[in-house]
Amino acid sequence: MTVVPMATTDIKEEPPVSLWRDAWFRLRRNRLAVFGLGVVVLLAFTALFGPYLTPFDFLSQNLDARNMPPSLTHLFGTDDLGRDVFSRVIFGTRTAFLVAIVVTAIAVVIGVTLGALAGFFGGWLDRVVMWLTDMTMSIPNLLLVVVINASLKSPISSWMESRYLATLNPFYRETIWVDFLLVFGSMALISWPPYARLVRAQVLSIRSRPYITAAQALGLTNRIILMRYVVPNALGPLIVAVSAGLGTAMVLESAFSFLGVGVNPPTPSWGNMISDGLRVWQHYPHLLAAPAAVLGLASVAFSFLGDGLNDALNPRGAK
Amino acid sequence: MTKTNTSERLLDVKGLTIEIETRNGPATIVDGIDLHVNKGETLGVVGESGCGKSLTMLSLMRLLPNKIRVTKGTAHFAGRDLQTMSNSELRKVRGGEVGFVFQDPMTSLNPVMRIGQQLAEPLIYHRGMNKAQARKRAGELLKLVGIPGAEDRLDAYPHELSGGMRQRVMIAIGLACNPQLLIADEPTTALDVTIQAQIVDLVKELRDRLGMSIVWITHDLALIAGLVDRVAVLYAGTVVEDAPVDDLFARPAHPYTQGLLASIPKLSDERASRLSSIGGTPPEPGRRPKGCPFAPRCPLAEAICHDKVPVLESLVSAGAHRVACFVAQRKLEAA
Ligand SMILES: Nc1ncnc2c1ncn2[C@@H]1O[C@H](COP(=O)(O)OP(=O)(O)O)[C@@H](O)[C@H]1O
Ligand code: SF4
Ligand SMILES: [Mg+2]
Repeated sequence: MTVVPMATTDIKEEPPVSLWRDAWFRLRRNRLAVFGLGVVVLLAFTALFGPYLTPFDFLSQNLDARNMPPSLTHLFGTDDLGRDVFSRVIFGTRTAFLVAIVVTAIAVVIGVTLGALAGFFGGWLDRVVMWLTDMTMSIPNLLLVVVINASLKSPISSWMESRYLATLNPFYRETIWVDFLLVFGSMALISWPPYARLVRAQVLSIRSRPYITAAQALGLTNRIILMRYVVPNALGPLIVAVSAGLGTAMVLESAFSFLGVGVNPPTPSWGNMISDGLRVWQHYPHLLAAPAAVLGLASVAFSFLGDGLNDALNPRGAK
Repeated sequence: MTKTNTSERLLDVKGLTIEIETRNGPATIVDGIDLHVNKGETLGVVGESGCGKSLTMLSLMRLLPNKIRVTKGTAHFAGRDLQTMSNSELRKVRGGEVGFVFQDPMTSLNPVMRIGQQLAEPLIYHRGMNKAQARKRAGELLKLVGIPGAEDRLDAYPHELSGGMRQRVMIAIGLACNPQLLIADEPTTALDVTIQAQIVDLVKELRDRLGMSIVWITHDLALIAGLVDRVAVLYAGTVVEDAPVDDLFARPAHPYTQGLLASIPKLSDERASRLSSIGGTPPEPGRRPKGCPFAPRCPLAEAICHDKVPVLESLVSAGAHRVACFVAQRKLEAA
């Protein structure tokens, strides 16, 4: 076969052939997404560095200044123990991010793995995964979490205590991480099914699209097809789900705290602050308003960012 | 050009049968197709939609969807058995030696990949080019298929191009590695009439320049009359007539072909794929008649047609003109 003679042409330097850079340009043109991103970045910064910058220690009590309304010294006022609410909200940001990131990460790993396997291989594997998903979703979430916590928390803690007394091994001394593990674990356990469903549906639908057949007809390997054709096309919806899921996990943590199965006081979390604030909101509304407003803001910001990312990652739809 | 010397055959398909698994057991979709393409030849494959054209072509590259399988027959490309070759050898044939152009340019390109990169992919994979070489070649290919401002278009996403431009991109991708055979599966069906003619002209020009063989699948015989050397007419998963294009237009032998030709003016008016001059519809897979598959719709059907299946045979008068019809064969023997 002869090579076709063709005019040599000047071709520009190879541009950054990156989906991400393009997405970034498109994202910047979306105001809501930029707002969401801004808030998320601010919150993330607060979570990382906030606790070092707060005017007061989140634990330090000032019994002479209890339940103070917002003022210049105490931006969000003080609570019933005279602790600075602003500092506690800031520390709560760290808790919120910790919970959201860990829970979402576990849920995404479980969900994406199961969903992709189910979608790709189908058959009995698909049926088993779908059954698991339906089972998990049909159990009332809060009930499951309360049951897990109630049945596991105290036995594990007391077992650790007895181990510590018997061995004096420092590993058993601190029981706070059991707390976290149970909160994170049970939240992840109820959070993975939507990711599994989403990814399964994505893989199923992308697998039968003509451009996949076209890529196969080009002789490309399954690995390349998976990495460059299937995954990038499945990514948009997953990123939206993850972004919204981070916000949801924060809200979920609050719901758990409200039920007394969340992160335990005195570690400040927006959830336990809201639940404390709810008891006295008629007298000291700022104790409810401050953490609730920040939680609402975070949740909205994550969801705006998710929608923006979806549009940005999908070059067809975005304006 | 239309000699049937086996050694010249680039693609040779014999008795290919494709079945689909259904709840009521396997149903035959393609029933013993015989097709061949000689080196440098352009074959038109014509038939109503649903008659198995696309599945036949996909089966050659072992790309059939789930539950659809080849159950009988052989397929050779350049003397090599496509059905038994290893997967890695097959991947070299796909894209490297046989290029594909699909029906719908809107959905056959990866929506999240720039077209320059989609063009570069096979060049990097089959020709071992580096990114810069592949990009340069991609620009040349876009120019080759007549895309204005070719180099600037390398960074466009598919949705930024019109349907006709996208189909040109598909053709460029199909031709990227200088394949010996280009299989175009209804490449113009999704396009406007004026664009259709442009694409046909483009492929004709490219063929004359590059010298590859082509299988052009269509339900519109008139569209490809000036492009193809030979035509195979498909009906319900079998080849019912196979003839040099001029012969076919001058002396259509099969009643179905005659019906196709009679309906051409109407077809180009309405761009319809239904045959207005032939009543009824093709049999569904799994409900094929016992004898000639066309018998239920055939104006010339006789008793034998409902009982026995006619085979594709050369007419004595014209070796290259083959037809699968009892009546046509008898008539031409007599003449
Ligand atoms: N993925 C599929 N699943 C089930 N049936 C299919 C599938 N693809 C094609 N078919 C059936 O196979 C027959 C032939 O299809 P196809 O080769 O696409 O026809 P053509 O390309 O000639 O229009 C049709 O009856 C169609 O319904
Ligand atoms: S064999 Fe009989 S039924 Fe079939 S096309 Fe010929 S005449 Fe018609
Ligand atoms: Mg088709």
